[in-house]
Amino acid sequence: MTRPGFVLEVDDRTPPLLVHEGLGFRLEEFPLGTRVIYPPEPVATVPDVDQAIREALLNPVDSEPLPELLFAGMKLTIAFDDLSLPLPTMKAPDIRGRIIEQVLEMAAAAGVDDVELIAALALHRRMTADELRHVVGERVFRSFYPQGKLYNFDAEDPANLAHLGTTEKGEDVEISKRAAESDLLVYVNVNLVAMDGGHKSVGVGLASYKSIKHHHNAKTMVHSRSFMDHKHSEMHSSAWRMGRLIGESVKVFQIETTLDNNVFGKPYDFLMKREWEWSVKDQAAMLGMRRGLALAPQKLRHKLFHDLRGAYGLTGINAGAVEPVHERTVRKVHEQQRVKIEGQADVMVMGVPYLGPYNVNSTMNPILAACMGLGYYFNSYLGQPVVREGGVAILYHPLDEGFNTLHHPSYVDFYEEVLAESTDPHVIGPKFEEQFATDPWYIHLYRTSNAYHGVHPFYMWYWIAHALDHLGDVIWVGGDRRAASRMGFRAASTLQDALEMASGAVGTSPSITYLHNPPHLLADVR
Amino acid sequence: MVGSFWKDTVEDVRRAKRGWRWGHRAQVPRSAEPFVPPPSRNVYPNDWSRTPAAMVAREFAQKVGLEPVFRSQVRTRVEGLDTLARLSGPVIFAANHASHLDTPLLLLSLPDEWRRRTAVAAAADYFFDTWWRAVGSSLLFNTLPIDRRGGTMSATPGEVLRDGWSLVIFPEGTRSKDGWVGQFRMGAAYLAVEQGVPVVPVAHRGTFAAMPRGAGWPARGRRQLTVRFGDPLVPAEGESVRQFAPRIRDAVARLLDEEQTDWYAALRRSVSGETPDPSGPDVAQWRRVWASTQSPDVEPGKIRAWRG
Amino acid sequence: MLALEMFRSVPKTMIGKAAGGRIPMLLTGLAAPLRLVTLDTPRVEKPGWARLKVRMSGICGSDLGMLSGKTSLYFSAVVSLPFVPGHEVVGELLDDCEDLAAGTRVVVDPVLTCAARGVEPCEACRRGETNRCSRITVGDVSPGLQTGFCHDTGGGWSQQLTAHRSQLHPVPEGLSDEQALLMEPVACAVHTALRAGVRDGDRVLVSGAGAVGLFATLALRELTDAGEILVVAKHGHQRELALEFGATEVVAPKETLRRVRRTTGAFQLEPVYSSPYLLGGVDVALDAVGSKQSLETCLHATRAGGRVVLSGMPAAADLSAAWFRELDVVGTYASARGEDAFGKAADLVAHDAVARMSKTVAAYPLHRWREALDHAHSAGRLGTVKVAFDPRLS
Repeated sequence: MTRPGFVLEVDDRTPPLLVHEGLGFRLEEFPLGTRVIYPPEPVATVPDVDQAIREALLNPVDSEPLPELLFAGMKLTIAFDDLSLPLPTMKAPDIRGRIIEQVLEMAAAAGVDDVELIAALALHRRMTADELRHVVGERVFRSFYPQGKLYNFDAEDPANLAHLGTTEKGEDVEISKRAAESDLLVYVNVNLVAMDGGHKSVGVGLASYKSIKHHHNAKTMVHSRSFMDHKHSEMHSSAWRMGRLIGESVKVFQIETTLDNNVFGKPYDFLMKREWEWSVKDQAAMLGMRRGLALAPQKLRHKLFHDLRGAYGLTGINAGAVEPVHERTVRKVHEQQRVKIEGQADVMVMGVPYLGPYNVNSTMNPILAACMGLGYYFNSYLGQPVVREGGVAILYHPLDEGFNTLHHPSYVDFYEEVLAESTDPHVIGPKFEEQFATDPWYIHLYRTSNAYHGVHPFYMWYWIAHALDHLGDVIWVGGDRRAASRMGFRAASTLQDALEMASGAVGTSPSITYLHNPPHLLADVR
Repeated sequence: MVGSFWKDTVEDVRRAKRGWRWGHRAQVPRSAEPFVPPPSRNVYPNDWSRTPAAMVAREFAQKVGLEPVFRSQVRTRVEGLDTLARLSGPVIFAANHASHLDTPLLLLSLPDEWRRRTAVAAAADYFFDTWWRAVGSSLLFNTLPIDRRGGTMSATPGEVLRDGWSLVIFPEGTRSKDGWVGQFRMGAAYLAVEQGVPVVPVAHRGTFAAMPRGAGWPARGRRQLTVRFGDPLVPAEGESVRQFAPRIRDAVARLLDEEQTDWYAALRRSVSGETPDPSGPDVAQWRRVWASTQSPDVEPGKIRAWRG
Repeated sequence: MLALEMFRSVPKTMIGKAAGGRIPMLLTGLAAPLRLVTLDTPRVEKPGWARLKVRMSGICGSDLGMLSGKTSLYFSAVVSLPFVPGHEVVGELLDDCEDLAAGTRVVVDPVLTCAARGVEPCEACRRGETNRCSRITVGDVSPGLQTGFCHDTGGGWSQQLTAHRSQLHPVPEGLSDEQALLMEPVACAVHTALRAGVRDGDRVLVSGAGAVGLFATLALRELTDAGEILVVAKHGHQRELALEFGATEVVAPKETLRRVRRTTGAFQLEPVYSSPYLLGGVDVALDAVGSKQSLETCLHATRAGGRVVLSGMPAAADLSAAWFRELDVVGTYASARGEDAFGKAADLVAHDAVARMSKTVAAYPLHRWREALDHAHSAGRLGTVKVAFDPRLS
């Protein structure tokens, strides 16, 4: 019997609670009366995954069954979500690989020869061969990669982009040429959070900078309240418009999956359990891990955390027309993640974990930490934000991992140059974005190395635009002072100090809400 | 650096000790009370007790520990073992239940080869709630946990039978309060029909007198116990559980009658339907208990001299 | 039916006394002479007795003391083992009982008096002082000072018990089960307040702010003409509640003597190797803890000729002050029928402050009894005033 998520009120009987902070965690004794949002326990998974996949492909929603859409001599393109999902990386075999195998089996039966598989990564970094192999599985990899038929989408290759027109609001729609000219475009997605999926898959995943800049900008993000709620998100409205335009000329067969939130396997499962239910073994594991992390050098800590694989279960799979499929997907995501809470708080506390979508197999630099906390976690709400307007956000992260120049070269310059001048997303956009987006060195690294596109750090900053607009103050507990101040924030060493610093804005006994994630949760704030 | 490591360790341990109330019971925060999971029936699995290593240990425990103590406290008379000589393969022993002495009585009355491969169905909530009760009873009496509250048995008895183990089942489900036979549940009949295994009815007398409910040790004076094994009952082709179950009870009733009188008379009475009701006379409770506290007299004709 | 039964076990009691202080988990585990069993429902086939289905039953300090072996052996003669504990009971009648219909919600006055025992009323019962009954070991039921210490009647920590009409008080409409549960401890507090002999404007010290101390404060404020009431409280929530219940001031244990000295202008003396005391002090002091320290504080902070009220089972203490300063040391136990303690209690529990407090009563199902007892042991530190069993949750 899976228990729903709920809101705990800290009282004298509550033990200290777990707070993630980068490559580590701490136990914090929250003030009495703090409300803590716990996500629901993992929901029931489908009994037979392969059977479920087959069912979905043969009985799709608002579409003909997949075999009927396949015929000999056709151009088939299969696009899939890149390694930024799920978080942490799924234990082999990845669900996308299993789905692609079944799709290809049906394609082979229909006699399809011209198949290409594209990692729909838009302006994210190219995946390495190993990473591609992890996602699609060994069989698919061996059949397509050496022949060059399995590749990363290149948004800066003019020969391989097709401009399909503009939406009614004048937004350019430019996507992969191969995808646009296919007889059938199958998209395989993993809907980790409610933001993903729907028209965002093809409309953004396979789009070029020209398209993306229409909705990845400060103004759009401020009006996305929140971007986890596609009905109230400006970004999604734009992506949806683009998606509909694409749908007019490209046949899209969307396959969306949802996973349960079994993110930590043994012996780290105590990280998912409710603290007062920790057995003696769990408490020992916690103490052991904390002491081990304190002793371990940074490299070892990095390895320990980044080698974690999630033993996810499949909770649902739907295939067919984009919009009805996404409707069902969102319902399933809500079932796994939604928690009701009454009223906003003065202070919002979040622990930023070691992993975000943009540092898989990489380091979390301060900008990514800010994006994870003030972008993703802040926006994990329906209705209204967890914290009131003008309230304070307290985040936990050491901000000391530095920058990875292989994956995030443009971030360094962004941090050194752009943030030093201004931290206002509305100011840096017009002044610097164009330069970074068109810099030939960054484009070269994006196309040939494993670097995020030059413009990417700006997107990270736009992601936090809504939070910056809404909040009165942002304080990082345990954060490096200089990194915090470069980003325009403040740093404190303990929670008590942070609350002391915040008392100017919210008084000496503010109402506090702590989001107890990971695993992901979606706060339905009434 | 190292100095702060030890200081932090102490701090961590202190925080855990305070937060989780080491030395006290863990408490649940008030707002989390509605989500406390219902109590899990702690049933410790005991597949290990049927491995060869465990069987060796049990042999020792029973032969060197249980048997001498048992025989020093009670006297036994066993009849009907020749029916077992005619059988092979696993059977279900269905016996009446009046005392904790029934299990050692039955096990120690069986021939060695049978005893080594016989498990006793025991209430999971009574014998398997703590690890030491689970280990102790598994080792000494070769118990097998069953869920007696559900009315159906849990899966393992069938597997155990299929593995070639015989099973002792007390169809009453609990010890009798006054020594007389109570209602028989369907479990034994169900297993016999499901697994196609014969049921050997077993009737014993005297255990209530020696050690009734509530007593922790047999009464003084080496009381007499008797146990009689009957002919096996095999479910007929197409016979349902509901039809088979009463046959088991009747067989036990007949055996008790035979025990107290003789075989032929009991047989005649069973044909004419006059077998005395094993659930006892419809009289006041004290009289029923009075009757049960008499140990059976196995030498009714013997002349006992007065001590001069 | 499911019940918690206290049984005789010398080894457990010895372990509890020896190691219970250092390893508190033992007191709810190995060293607890308590077990969860299935018993036959208790019946007393005598006129006036009826069966009750238990709705809630509280855990009192005296129950905890008994379970950890701290209670004096004096009481071993007025209990009949094995018994089901629990003397703070709110339940509903399963049978008609004289003028009360089946289904009526009642609270139980646990004292087993002459009326319940079917014997000629003794001197005390005739005067209406039912808590001083002398016939608590004879009559229709086995020896036992109260329901909850008697083998035949059963007790509150189970699904059913049996009680005599003379023990039953119907609960007025509009009170929640939790408020009804508090009626018995509040009735004891009412009796304490009347026993304390407080005159107009007297200064009163209440040492201890658990359930006993807090309700005593409330009763003193509402039913007597006390002037200043000074309450000694250790924990934050107790301080707030004491003030809501009518305390004038709340102090921490260490500051008590100093504060009393200042408000009364007394002289403070410091003997060698002993605790300091006052010449002068409050008019009435009430010990609601029962520990040596608390009792001595009360004795040392009361003016000569004043009164010290022992509200809970007392520990051994230095009584020099009682003799030297000519103090009246009085005990209060349970409540007397003659003074309509339960009627007054019903009024007191209807107060807003008590209604608010009743919402913090922590209810546990019977099978989580170890957690419940541990919680009750540390109730103050855990922010709770009363812990109770709710057999309906099992």
